[in-house]
Amino acid sequence: MTSHAIDTGWLAELLATLGPDNVITDPARLRTYECDGLTGYRVVPAAVALPRSTAEVAAAVRVCAGHGIPFVARGAGTGLSGGALPVADGIVISLQRLRRIIEVDPVNLCAVVEPGVTNLDISRAAAPYGLYYAPNPSSQQVCTIGGNVAENSGGAHCLKYGFTVNHVLEAEVVLADGTVTTLGGPAQYQPGFDLLGAFIGSEGTLGIVTRITVRLLAKPAHVETMVADFATVAGAGDAVTAIVAAGIVPAAIEMLDNLAIQAVGASTHSVYTADTAAALVVELDGPPDDVAEQFDHVQRICRAQGSTKIMVAADPAERALIWQGRKAAFAAVGRISSNYFVQDGVVPRGRLAEVLDRIGAMADTAGLRVANVFHAGDGNLHPLVLYCEADGEHDRAERLSSEIAELCVELGGSLSGEHGIGTDKACSMPRMFGEDDLATMLRLRAAFDPDGLCNPGKVFPTPRLCGERPGPYRPHPLEAAGVIERL
Amino acid sequence: MTYRPADLAELREAMVQSAAVGQLLAVSGAGTASQWGGRPEHDAVLDTTAMSELISYNPTDMTVAVQAGMRLSRLQEVLAEHRQWVALDPARGATIGGIVATADAGPSRHQYGGSRDSVIGMTLVLADGTVARSGGHVIKNVAGYDLGKLLHGSLGTLAVVAEVVLRVHPRPAATATLAVPCDAAAAFDLGGQLITTALEPAAVEWCDGTLLARFDGTARGVADRLARARELAGPAATEGTPEQWRGVDRIVLGEQGDTVLRLGTAPDRTPSLAADLHRLAATYAVEAAMTSTLFAGVHTVRLRGGPAAAHAAVVTALRQTYPASTVCRWTPDLEHEITPWGDPPPAVSLLRAVKRRFDPDDRLCPGRFAPWL
Ligand SMILES: Cc1cc2nc3c(=O)[nH]c(=O)nc-3n(C[C@H](O)[C@H](O)[C@H](O)COP(=O)(O)OP(=O)(O)OC[C@H]3O[C@@H](n4cnc5c(N)ncnc54)[C@H](O)[C@@H]3O)c2cc1C
Ligand SMILES: Cc1cc2nc3c(=O)[nH]c(=O)nc-3n(C[C@H](O)[C@H](O)[C@H](O)COP(=O)(O)OP(=O)(O)OC[C@H]3O[C@@H](n4cnc5c(N)ncnc54)[C@H](O)[C@@H]3O)c2cc1C
Repeated sequence: MTSHAIDTGWLAELLATLGPDNVITDPARLRTYECDGLTGYRVVPAAVALPRSTAEVAAAVRVCAGHGIPFVARGAGTGLSGGALPVADGIVISLQRLRRIIEVDPVNLCAVVEPGVTNLDISRAAAPYGLYYAPNPSSQQVCTIGGNVAENSGGAHCLKYGFTVNHVLEAEVVLADGTVTTLGGPAQYQPGFDLLGAFIGSEGTLGIVTRITVRLLAKPAHVETMVADFATVAGAGDAVTAIVAAGIVPAAIEMLDNLAIQAVGASTHSVYTADTAAALVVELDGPPDDVAEQFDHVQRICRAQGSTKIMVAADPAERALIWQGRKAAFAAVGRISSNYFVQDGVVPRGRLAEVLDRIGAMADTAGLRVANVFHAGDGNLHPLVLYCEADGEHDRAERLSSEIAELCVELGGSLSGEHGIGTDKACSMPRMFGEDDLATMLRLRAAFDPDGLCNPGKVFPTPRLCGERPGPYRPHPLEAAGVIERL
Repeated sequence: MTYRPADLAELREAMVQSAAVGQLLAVSGAGTASQWGGRPEHDAVLDTTAMSELISYNPTDMTVAVQAGMRLSRLQEVLAEHRQWVALDPARGATIGGIVATADAGPSRHQYGGSRDSVIGMTLVLADGTVARSGGHVIKNVAGYDLGKLLHGSLGTLAVVAEVVLRVHPRPAATATLAVPCDAAAAFDLGGQLITTALEPAAVEWCDGTLLARFDGTARGVADRLARARELAGPAATEGTPEQWRGVDRIVLGEQGDTVLRLGTAPDRTPSLAADLHRLAATYAVEAAMTSTLFAGVHTVRLRGGPAAAHAAVVTALRQTYPASTVCRWTPDLEHEITPWGDPPPAVSLLRAVKRRFDPDDRLCPGRFAPWL
């Protein structure tokens, strides 16, 4: 690639367009943007633009389009797959200054927001009306709704409530040539192809979203939460299957295996049983009578599947403790192992017991430990491969982590349940999709961005990218500071 | 001539063959929505109804894979054996592929969304014979672009849907309906109250002068919520009947000679749309009926009686205020008076760009989106 560094015309134009206060060129300050939550990949961008409006985003993109400069949108930088990784010689367009909640509309059950608004702030703004925004990634205090749209983010509750794509009605988008358009609309029926649906989850490669209309839901009337212990991991997996087979859709079903529970127990005021092989956290929400009856049913199912102990949260404080332990699990594992990789694969729910078994066997063969804390109801695994960098275990651990992701695909699942493909897993995409599948996806990309300036090198494998190796997991700075948690 | 492939390989073959001789294709399922939009110009029909097999169904995973030509009614029968369903309302004759391609959905879209929200994976065949898959068999999957969403509402113009993986839901143990005769404004207010008081209606439809709210859940829970909803609604409320729900289908389908128009608006425009329709129907002496999925902002208007010119006048007047509209059934001669679509959406140039990349020779259903494409 030729360096744009010699051609400073575009930079002068960007500075003139946005004003010097809204463009970062100082090398020290640029380093703040060199990576996202996946800290193993780092690239310092040529400049960072900090627009304050859709018009300024469009103006910045037009400068890029005019000079063939690649650009990468950035929200809060919490992405765990390297989606917001800059392109050298390109610019980062940060959406952090577009953070107005334009309108909460309780009559139409929606809110109109700018992309830099955090996920949690939408629910906060909707709360006075008894409403909330359902998709809640555990980074929700800091991650932006623009990043959520790009990643099609979900959280612990997406088993029942779905992902971002199920909750966005309309989006204003700046396309790669700098034009501004609108996808979707105020109604669930819009004539034409569902371009909005295709845009959501495109990881910043189809354009920059600058305004979003999200659906709001009424807060559920009642919530019940429990922890059920099991003597075997397979028993817990079978209980998940049985709950769902009984026609019950919990708000969340999460699983922790013994290693994860031990880690949690070692570090917090834990409500989990230290010596149990596995624990399920099951939460139901909805109308009180329905919840009461189904909650009872879930407990019976767990006992029938061999649950050794059931603890029901007596009040909101106990519920909070259960979730605190669940959410602290990643950080806790960090304390029992100097290094670890986080994986994000999905298997069909009916194969949970099988995949956990096989992961256990693979770990034994590799001579490494794997802790499992995950969204069991969705079959979305987050295996944590523990290793010690200093003992030279890095390569072995990395191989095991990739093998687990590819095992998920082999069992009929997916490479990613919620963190996206980004830079991290682009090279594994051919495991899941054939050449024609990827080529067809690229036709869509070409329709939106014929010159490939919009977040190039992400999602799709490139020879350059696939020659490089990812680095180890390191906690996101906000995670280390205790501001956000990994779930 | 008609291609009638029975599986993916034959479908691909049909696409390659027709491409070799440059044939224009009309893609068709059961034909129940064959009048939606413009009439495609074509040399051959690609009929998907022989692709009607169940590919795989694992009830514990709550996902099912089918060939696109399978009828929804048939699929629901299979799922019912395991007390499950795809969250799409009955469309007696329609195929899964047709439902996806029309972006059609009924009252259950209130809680479950449209087919876009139930489709988790898709195999499609492009005009040049390229076979592409996206999504997969698991609900949670964010790997790559979701081409299944793109095909939603594409009316056969981008690619042929060959196979679809759907997420299924448990059938609720009990269900009950609140019926309240009222105007659209009252229906919208009461519907809003049902939602914000957390009674969790699964459907909130205003059909031809009656609010219909359906509650799904456990027997006790449903009875309790229906009782509380009746309290909110006052003395006019009754327990609704299946026959009242069939009223929705009757408007959506229409009959020979009717005009049926699908519209999307912000939900709170429903009362003014109903009032405008009522006024216009009186002015042009046609009979009008309307059904609205209130909080999805999706409306179907049926016009009956009177000449095509009167239907055209009503549609044209409505479109001035509510442009997102599709003609789904044409009274004879109406096509000489109006276009199938209202004003193009802001992203129409993107629609064109996508069409050019997927079907550069414009072989699939040309004219369906005229004059936009
Ligand atoms: C501790 C922790 C826990 C997490 N838990 C979850 C979880 O439970 N579920 C989950 O789904 N994810 C989770 N994540 C991942 C991450 O928080 C989400 O993917 C989030 O949506 C990213 O938002 P962001 O604003 O930080 O985006 P960034 O990281 O800044 O960007 C992510 C991607 O979005 C693109 N992008 C950003 N803004 C825009 C825009 N306005 N227009 C177009 N593209 C844009 C970027 O180019 C990039 O490709 C977690 C991350 C951390 C660090
Ligand atoms: C509440 C409600 C009730 C309804 N009740 C009924 C009912 O009782 N009976 C009934 O028949 N319908 C009913 N419908 C309508 C039905 O849902 C639609 O007619 C259906 O979506 C069309 O399916 P089809 O197989 O008939 O498609 P077709 O009419 O054959 O095709 C429609 C469009 O889809 C395209 N298409 C079809 N198959 C494919 C494919 N595989 N790939 C790509 N494009 C394709 C075609 O090119 C065409 O543009 C109802 C709808 C609602 C909302």
